[in-house]
Amino acid sequence: MKKVLVVDDSLSVARQLEKIIADSGDFTSVGHAKNGAEAIKMNHTENPDIICMDMNMPGMDGLTALRSLVVLDKDVKVVMVTSLGGVGDKFTEALKLGAKNVISKPFEADNVLQILREL
Amino acid sequence: MAVKFFGQFLVENSLVSREALIKAIDLQDQKNLKLGEMAISMGYVTQTEIERAHNAQMSKDMKLGDLLVEMGILTLNQLNDVITRQKNTHLYIGEALVLVGALSAEKLQQYLADFKADQAQYVSERIELPGSIANNLVWEMTADLTYKMITRVLDLQFRPGKCQTVTTVDSNFMMAAMDLSGDVEARYIISVSEAIQKSVAKAILREDTVDDEPLEVLEDTVMEFVNVVCGNVAAKASQMGVIMEINPPVTIHPPATGLSVPTGHTGLCFPIHIGEDNKMELIIFIKS
Repeated sequence: MKKVLVVDDSLSVARQLEKIIADSGDFTSVGHAKNGAEAIKMNHTENPDIICMDMNMPGMDGLTALRSLVVLDKDVKVVMVTSLGGVGDKFTEALKLGAKNVISKPFEADNVLQILREL
Repeated sequence: MAVKFFGQFLVENSLVSREALIKAIDLQDQKNLKLGEMAISMGYVTQTEIERAHNAQMSKDMKLGDLLVEMGILTLNQLNDVITRQKNTHLYIGEALVLVGALSAEKLQQYLADFKADQAQYVSERIELPGSIANNLVWEMTADLTYKMITRVLDLQFRPGKCQTVTTVDSNFMMAAMDLSGDVEARYIISVSEAIQKSVAKAILREDTVDDEPLEVLEDTVMEFVNVVCGNVAAKASQMGVIMEINPPVTIHPPATGLSVPTGHTGLCFPIHIGEDNKMELIIFIKS
């Protein structure tokens, strides 16, 4: 089973994503980081296969964390999960920085799993 | 289920690869000249004049085109010529994807039709604002998208009340707020009663009951709803040519006397009627 790390300052979004991951049968959650800095630490300690990360977080935001993650770990697969997905510049910036895809909020379980399975 | 731009729709649905999209966007960046570049290419201004205007922009909150006119570098007619040329020669993302070989012209038409159908649910309906409010179209769209998200995300039946200008906002069980910045500056607030807070939590957490959930989680769900709405508002605003940045949401526990609209702001209140004892409001404090 592939390991997924969820990064979001929102407890409710983390719960939604962890439930989708747990119910999928293909993936398992290795925890929840509340900001970009925690994500970098947990990527090192938990070694997830995929990171699902929000963009808009207090402290270190998602795009800043993504910049560091791709330098620190060349194999990292990051999918941004954000309400800002529809803002063209943000979407493009995330892809150019190395995100594998961008999921817009509100999301549906099928859409999330389809994108994770394609990685 | 969200407001998207066409390139995102294609990548999300695996209709083009992320690499192809990046290639197409790079081509757009090369072909689509910015206002200053276009004015230079048309022989209306020099590079030195553009740099002078950019420097002046640091102390003046004006768009480059307006500033070039104000500084006497461009006439209004010339500015209109430049904007028209920009529009007429604009390379759209779909055309760019065809040019980089990621899509055929036939597929582009088919996917554009699919995209239009997907986004039809977010086409704005007219909402009336009182008096003359700056950037009224942005705030009408904000209210309209909030209503649409209440239906689609929260699955609540409601009747929108008439928007009013206010100086004080009535107290309520809790409020979740998000500051918006960029071309417009405002604070977006959703005010909910205890019962509505639980309805929001049930919808966001996708649970039948939330009676045992800690208050922290219940409040977080209202903040997340605000985050989802404002992110989609920012996406829609970018389609209107308005840059809007969002910030992390916060909770407010208003005093019994209510919340005063800060000095230098206009307060708009959109009542959302759900039922007796179920008070919900959308409030926007717009910086003048």
